[in-house]
Amino acid sequence: MNRMTPGCWIGARRFHRCGAVPLSVASRGRLGLLISLAAAALPAMAQSLADLSLEELATIQITSVSRRPESLSDAAASIYVITADAIRRSGATSLPQALRLAPNLQVAQVDASQYAISARGFNNAIGNKLLVLIDGRTVYTPFFSGVFWDQQDVMLEDVDRIEVISGPGSTLWGANAVNGVINVITRPARLTQGTRVAADAGTDVHHLAVRAGGAFGDGAHWRLYAKHRHWRHTESQAGASLADGGQHSQAGFRAGWSSGTDLLVLQGDVYDGRSDRRGSAAQPFPAVEWSGANLLARWTRTSADGSNWRVQGYVDRARRDDAFLYRPEIDIADFEFQNGLSGERHKVLWGGGVRHARDRIRPGLIFGFHPERRSMRWANLFVQDAIALTPDLALTVGLKLEHNGFTGLETLPSARLAWKLADRGLLWAALSRAVRAPARLDRDISLPPQPPFIIAGGPDFDSELAHVAEVGWRSQTSPAWTWSATLFHHRWDRLRSGELPPNAQVRNQIEGSTSGFEAWSAWQPVAAWRLSGGFTVLHKRLRLESGSRDPEGPRSLGNDPRLQATVRATFQPAAQHEVELGVRRIGELPDPVVPAYTAVDLRWGWQVRPAIGVALAAFNLLDAGHVEFGAAGRSVQPRHAQLQVRATW
Amino acid sequence: VIESPRHAAPVPHCAARRRLLAGAIAALLAGAAIGTANAQATETQVKAAYLYKFLAFVEWPLQTFTRPDSPIVIGVLGGQAISEELALLTAGRQVEGRPVQVRRLSSDTVPADVHVLFVGADAADRLGKLAAASKDRPLLIVSESQEGLLHGGAINFVLAEDRVRFEVALQPIESRGLRVSARLLAVAHRVKANPL
Repeated sequence: MNRMTPGCWIGARRFHRCGAVPLSVASRGRLGLLISLAAAALPAMAQSLADLSLEELATIQITSVSRRPESLSDAAASIYVITADAIRRSGATSLPQALRLAPNLQVAQVDASQYAISARGFNNAIGNKLLVLIDGRTVYTPFFSGVFWDQQDVMLEDVDRIEVISGPGSTLWGANAVNGVINVITRPARLTQGTRVAADAGTDVHHLAVRAGGAFGDGAHWRLYAKHRHWRHTESQAGASLADGGQHSQAGFRAGWSSGTDLLVLQGDVYDGRSDRRGSAAQPFPAVEWSGANLLARWTRTSADGSNWRVQGYVDRARRDDAFLYRPEIDIADFEFQNGLSGERHKVLWGGGVRHARDRIRPGLIFGFHPERRSMRWANLFVQDAIALTPDLALTVGLKLEHNGFTGLETLPSARLAWKLADRGLLWAALSRAVRAPARLDRDISLPPQPPFIIAGGPDFDSELAHVAEVGWRSQTSPAWTWSATLFHHRWDRLRSGELPPNAQVRNQIEGSTSGFEAWSAWQPVAAWRLSGGFTVLHKRLRLESGSRDPEGPRSLGNDPRLQATVRATFQPAAQHEVELGVRRIGELPDPVVPAYTAVDLRWGWQVRPAIGVALAAFNLLDAGHVEFGAAGRSVQPRHAQLQVRATW
Repeated sequence: VIESPRHAAPVPHCAARRRLLAGAIAALLAGAAIGTANAQATETQVKAAYLYKFLAFVEWPLQTFTRPDSPIVIGVLGGQAISEELALLTAGRQVEGRPVQVRRLSSDTVPADVHVLFVGADAADRLGKLAAASKDRPLLIVSESQEGLLHGGAINFVLAEDRVRFEVALQPIESRGLRVSARLLAVAHRVKANPL
């Protein structure tokens, strides 16, 4: 047994006399999942762990048999994890704001509540190459393969982490995970016991969220939450109000039952929101209104031999009434299962799912959908095998077959190689084929809703296709200094294009490539000081295929900066105080031109009492306002501040 | 699989704690570099190992133990897997000449001869009540829940980057007449003067 060197003994009073207070800046805190494992597992390992020092225990990587068989830090992909601590320190009060913390995402605020969010380019307000999940539920809207960010909300206080994968994840997650996957994961109900209140009063945004959690008995826990958010409109560069203010109310629950090997989760949300009334006094135009509800059940079983089953089903209903654009109502039912098997050298994960959507998209002033109602079905099967070629070299090969009603069967293969370089981190490389399957927006849209049409659908629109090569290198061992660097190249075929009006059809006549580099690092030299930062470089080479009659060309496929960079510094000047400074520099967007800008956010948090925290957060501190996205009449993102109060009991 | 540690960290007096902290980080880096890089274990195993390791870094008031070889008793409420792992791991081991006993608790009272109380995530809702009921006793309470420190825990396990780390609240340690080693604080993921 290692002999201890207890050294200086510290009770709190003496501790203070000592002077320096080594209060750590809660660097990468993430809350624990208790894995109820059979106690018999690896007794020899248990014995040897007792011989390690405290310092060494802190470096032991844990394996979680209940998750996907590969642990995140071993995955051969470009993954960034936004932790609950990072969200709190940043002062973010909405999901898109929290996503700004991922250096591998491009987040541009379009107006007071809408965002354009993408990874590796192709960013626009109807971005369609990113898959977004909240607790296993896909939240992109199938009729345009994108996300209404003003409609998606969570109790941010209960988020455990947000995993952001840039690059294709199609073999596991399917079509649409072409450029990235965002996985929002909230805490299990047993880790959100008690009452929590988060109240924010600000110059532009007011927000109140309350959660209560409790237990039904042994191994059964619940939580309920409700929140309301209210935001002020923004103004155009000319100073005109854009009538984009609004409010969103949401409530939900989560319940979990665990019994040794089995875990059952039931959760659901209902929400309702609306924008300000638009138009002018002379010509009023109704507000945008949205509402929805969802209910999800998931059962997981983990066996002593390391194999596991996961079965999940959910229903999701969403409605959006935008008299200007379109008025969709969608009902979705989704069912999936997966089974993980662990052998000596192979870790196999296989599964499948079906998804059914029934919608009705009534026309707005601008767009119509023909037919107005449609039922669609998707089905998939996948298998992935992680093969340990040597103890340090792992090859993961996978294939997903996905069937959709528009293009039939799509094949989504990938191969990933991960090489552990002892103390020099993990070197990985990946090849994938990904597709973005057609959505209703590609096939059935018309502008205007009735003939004569300017745009008359895309009956021949086929899947967009990407072949992706990636190489990455990242640190693995030291909690004090972490970093990751990824080089990528995407070759694109059959990207969406247009035609000269009238009766222009949606085509697949843009091709080319995008390539770039994404890197980030976090460094915590002393406990009270932490520095992190990252940047992305993107180079797009897209062109119209010969014979195309598209007057717009690649400009309609997104407006992306060549370079963006972020730096965050966290400092803990005294025990109950923490200060975080965030600076981001976003390069110029080329077409339409949005000037480059630098935004500075600052948050000062003070833990007044054990159960009460107060913070002052200021956003866009150094500029009076800047534009992040859009064309003529676009919204200016103003400087604004918030007083944030958090209480727990 | 795992080689034994090779960095003994002789610790000076209080005034040099900053240096100690830097040393601990260096040791941590060194430890990672030396051979634990590929070491993996389950969360349960690592938490059990920590619970045993903590014993050597905590000092109870002199009158707590009747004899030099009186056992140190770890009471476990909930967290069955961890308690079984801990029993396996501590069998036959001693800390400062004292044998280690692991005892499963079922009721909401902590027996007087328990020195460390571990409250598993599945019993987290009873943590606050237990902490309040044993308020002035020299009892080290360890938890593994989101708000463990807030509800009276002195040490709380957290996961960070696939590793099990722990956070420490100094107030409940001091008020119970316990003392903890600076080395333990140096390894902590974070140290809080007050519970939150």
